[in-house]
Amino acid sequence: MSELKPTNHKANLLLEAVADGHLAEVLAMESVAGCSTTFDPGWEVDPFGGVASLCQPMEADLYGCSDPCWWPAQVPDTMSTYPNWDAGKPSAALDWRDLDSVFPKK
Amino acid sequence: MSSARIYILLTVCAAFAATLGTTRARAGDVLLTGSKPDRLFLIDAATRKVRAEHHIAGANGLVSIILVSPDERTAYVLVDRMERVVGIDLASGREVFRADLSTPGERIKSFLSLAVTPDGKELIVYELPTKLLPSEYVVEEPRFAVFRTDAGLAAKPVRSFAAPRRVHMLLMRPNGKSFYAVGFDLDEFDVKTGKHLGTRGIQKWTVPDHSQPDLLAFWPVTEPTGVWTSPVYSDVKKGAESVPTTALMSLDLKSGDLSYADFEPMNALIFSTVLSPDRTHAYGVYTTLTSIDILGHRLEKRVPLDHTFYAVNVSSDGREIYTGGTECDIGVYDARSLAKKTLIKLPGCHDQSIATLRVIHEK
Repeated sequence: MSELKPTNHKANLLLEAVADGHLAEVLAMESVAGCSTTFDPGWEVDPFGGVASLCQPMEADLYGCSDPCWWPAQVPDTMSTYPNWDAGKPSAALDWRDLDSVFPKK
Repeated sequence: MSSARIYILLTVCAAFAATLGTTRARAGDVLLTGSKPDRLFLIDAATRKVRAEHHIAGANGLVSIILVSPDERTAYVLVDRMERVVGIDLASGREVFRADLSTPGERIKSFLSLAVTPDGKELIVYELPTKLLPSEYVVEEPRFAVFRTDAGLAAKPVRSFAAPRRVHMLLMRPNGKSFYAVGFDLDEFDVKTGKHLGTRGIQKWTVPDHSQPDLLAFWPVTEPTGVWTSPVYSDVKKGAESVPTTALMSLDLKSGDLSYADFEPMNALIFSTVLSPDRTHAYGVYTTLTSIDILGHRLEKRVPLDHTFYAVNVSSDGREIYTGGTECDIGVYDARSLAKKTLIKLPGCHDQSIATLRVIHEK
């Protein structure tokens, strides 16, 4: 944790909780079990610091990671907020051009 | 050449071909997998032909965890963004069980964690409930909900009991009295009462000179041995150095024996593994196919795959390895040489994503 720098209030609370030994108190939203709780950068580097050990091709991994909300920053939250993002696009390798960006509803 | 000699020659050639691993899996094995948006496939392993393609109503784009009833006639599948469990009769494709977990005021997700009792009568579902109030979400405590499998298409839990957080897989023990919940640690619960029977460490393991391990596991494959295995990653202290190392975690569901055995410095990622019928080898997949020598605790062989696969299984005679998940094909590999035999394309070429790959047997 010492290598992580908090950038918002909740992250500060997390560090304080770790220091105070009350880590469980800030784990509440993990019950959603998905996009709001996952902190996984994805699509960046592999455990060896490179990219050779990432999924190949990326499309093979796209739905496998978006379905359980593994990449909350890179793909829409299909588990709760945008469940139809991939509707009619059952093959990431063939349909990736049709996977659009999403925007909050006004 | 006489016909008798030709016959003998052909017989010898056939036997030689068999030793090269060109024979197909033992007749009777059937592969079971799912794909987007709602498909469930049965594939004859011997002929490589798709035997059935079932559509799951209300799957809503996700076919994920697939369990098989003990009589291998019904598949229990987690669908609909983790909010519905259905039972599909494998012979007809008819939906025979449905449990919608959420209600209008409470959203319930089951994070990839189901188990069916050995008598086939009950289904245990790990539930993560969130109460949806007008101005706020109220996080509720996780629980195990138990359904009767004969409850039809509007199944409701017959009992529920407290569960730990961070569970991502359930494994039923063959005695039917208890089940394991795999999460940050390995917990065991009584099926009838929900009593917590014990915890054994995963993150809290106590393996000398090993750091806290990392585990990604939501492929509840225990066929054909009744042993669940998974790669586990940790840093191993060797002198002044720390060496990232891959171990194989093995959990025998019958005996309860749990072991971790390092088998290589971490040179490649492995997502999931399966144990051979004779328990001498484990096979793992990701961007490569890996063979692990169980008795020697060593990496035996590794070959590249055509693309990443998440799921792996093995034929009941141990001769073939099947790779699945991710895209729309199932790879068939020789278990001894790891040579590719063929790729079975799923009709429509829809992604399997995180679907479980099972091997069942013809009835």
